[in-house]
Amino acid sequence: MNKVWAVIRREFVERVRTRWFWISAILGPVLFAGIIVFQIKQSVGGGVRNIAVVDSTSHDYGQRVVEELAASKVIRATAVRSGPGVVDSLTKLVEAKQLNGFLIVSDSLLETGRAEFRASNLSFQTVEELQRALNRLLVKVRLEGRGVQPAVVDWAQSLRATLEQKKIARGRTTTESAGQTFVMAYIIAILLFMAILLYGVNVMSSVLEEKRDRIVEVLVSSLRPFQLMLGKVMGAGAVSFFQFLIWAVSARVLISLRAPIARALGASAADAQNIALPHVPFATLAVFMAFFVGGFLLYSAMFAAVGAMSSNEQEARQAQQPVTYLLMISYLSIIGLTNDPSSTFAKTLSVVPFTSPIATPVRWASGSMGMGELGVSLVMLAIAIVGVTWVAARIYRVGILMTGKRPTMKELVRWVRA
Amino acid sequence: MLDPVVLDRVTKRFASRTAVDALSLSVPPGTIYGLLGPNGAGKTTAIRMIMDIYEPDQGTVRLFGDVSGGREHSARIGYLPEERGLYPKMRVLDVLVFLAEIKGVPRKTARAKAIEWLDRLGLGLRRLSKVSDLSKGMQQKVQFISAVLHDPELVILDEPFSGLDPVNRQVLLETVIDYRQRGKTVLFSTHIMEHAEQLCDRLCIIAQGKKLVDGTLTEIKQRHAGNHVSIAFDGNHGGSRQIFADQRLVSRVQDSGQEVELELVDGADPQEVLRALVQSGARLARFELGSPSLHKIFIDLVGPEAAAADPVPPAGQKE
Repeated sequence: MNKVWAVIRREFVERVRTRWFWISAILGPVLFAGIIVFQIKQSVGGGVRNIAVVDSTSHDYGQRVVEELAASKVIRATAVRSGPGVVDSLTKLVEAKQLNGFLIVSDSLLETGRAEFRASNLSFQTVEELQRALNRLLVKVRLEGRGVQPAVVDWAQSLRATLEQKKIARGRTTTESAGQTFVMAYIIAILLFMAILLYGVNVMSSVLEEKRDRIVEVLVSSLRPFQLMLGKVMGAGAVSFFQFLIWAVSARVLISLRAPIARALGASAADAQNIALPHVPFATLAVFMAFFVGGFLLYSAMFAAVGAMSSNEQEARQAQQPVTYLLMISYLSIIGLTNDPSSTFAKTLSVVPFTSPIATPVRWASGSMGMGELGVSLVMLAIAIVGVTWVAARIYRVGILMTGKRPTMKELVRWVRA
Repeated sequence: MLDPVVLDRVTKRFASRTAVDALSLSVPPGTIYGLLGPNGAGKTTAIRMIMDIYEPDQGTVRLFGDVSGGREHSARIGYLPEERGLYPKMRVLDVLVFLAEIKGVPRKTARAKAIEWLDRLGLGLRRLSKVSDLSKGMQQKVQFISAVLHDPELVILDEPFSGLDPVNRQVLLETVIDYRQRGKTVLFSTHIMEHAEQLCDRLCIIAQGKKLVDGTLTEIKQRHAGNHVSIAFDGNHGGSRQIFADQRLVSRVQDSGQEVELELVDGADPQEVLRALVQSGARLARFELGSPSLHKIFIDLVGPEAAAADPVPPAGQKE
């Protein structure tokens, strides 16, 4: 065991010493800080959009749209009478970035509810805001037409319903919203995919290095090949854990510093409070970790075997393709998974060991998975890890001492049987 | 005391050929044992089987009287493989500590020993350099240190002197002799007979996977003594060529320029050859009767074809 420990330590220390490790360790928090600064800037008013309302109605509805938008924090609107060449000159202003966009209202608004918005950037928030203003105006104008006082209409519209969203998951009701669930499941899937792929490939290149630089002969005269492979996989795994840890800690630190950052940017502390990490329940975190470790062990054993059966980078790149494709299946299913985590498709993916490391945490995070299913998924993954590691270790054992041409499928089968 | 290494009719086949064919040998404790043979004779394969890197197809390898394989005894064995390899991006000291750790040496001890050895072999100032920044010869010395750092009872060196300049070769040679004097056992392979002659107590010559001869150096020389003359010239060869061509006297000539080895016809008198040489005007530095050089025995045994394909190899050349 001390020998495996030595391999783990070497793998860890040498990898952490590389420039790349620190570049990616620093890049994570820098990106995160960027997001925080961007969001605060946005709330301070950097995001105000200037739009024109082109009015071709016979009742000055354009002016009334502007009035409806007067309270908006995001949109500053000005009414323009329609005329020949107006649309063209406004389009030029948009092109020149002096105007964000313009809304065209005509008499048909009242009959069909239709209006047109042209802009350089059709942001979700702006469109939403415009649509709400137009809706309010439509209701108001129509009710006025039936003799209702405008003040009454305003009063009637002043109260808006808010829907408090609660999720029932595994017998408990939480305050998580649908959007949060989706975003979290998506982030989990991407993180898992990236980490398994990146660190799995690391294991492969490390095996390949030992083979190419002829170090392996000395190593296997002291270590059993399985000890060597185990040490490598665990060492690379520890590096990725360390990387995650750096990211997690720096994210927490940045979040706790959001108030001073907001002040420095001239925003109020209240604006800063809106920025928060999604609340991740402990159980979800545990499932995430368990399946990250499981998926990593499963895939890095395969990557180790690929490294062992290749003699150079090109060969390894080719030989790793089947393994990468296997992982890609989960990646390509992420959208489907997050949209409907309780479909038969999603259920199948969370049982099959090669996709479950990504599919199961996603389904668990979205609350559509019970303890029973989780258990089945874990057991299947554990069985697969043992089986795949056994096969990979046998390929590894023979492969690391082989040089020359890449083995054929038939030879691989013989290695495993030997 | 048991012999540290015993091979009993060990055979290893690869797809198309038999690399080692029913090889038996035994290395007594406290000796320097040479495994000699031309390129491709099966020396490295035999050593890899001893080290438990290859499994023999037939026969048994016994280390310290035990058949469980080299890896089980890795703490008692030091190994310098023929294909040298160190982590190129690691620091010299770190590599040595790591390689000792996987042999079970505690980290601290490994560190102290590594520094001691690096100083001894003149690499003390390079301990924090990256391996890839060292010259080939330095890397080889580092690799040698990794084989002896844990003070093993048995050291197995596969072609330890190839690729070293004369100064470093001498340093390594002395280290090996010093090792034997401390009661340790050394098994090494080479195809350069001068090294074997200088070092070996016992040796075994193999070709095409088969053993041709083994025993102590003296035994082997006696066995192949014959009617043998070894001559060294001092510049002027005189009429030596005609004398060597005289088939009534000389049956075989091994001509290396300034040095010539002759095998005389049965019953021929070596004194007659000496007289003829002196009369022909040749100046002699040495005229020696009796034991042939290991080089000569080797070539006689292995055959001139294999010997011709066996010049002193360039650095790092493999079998």
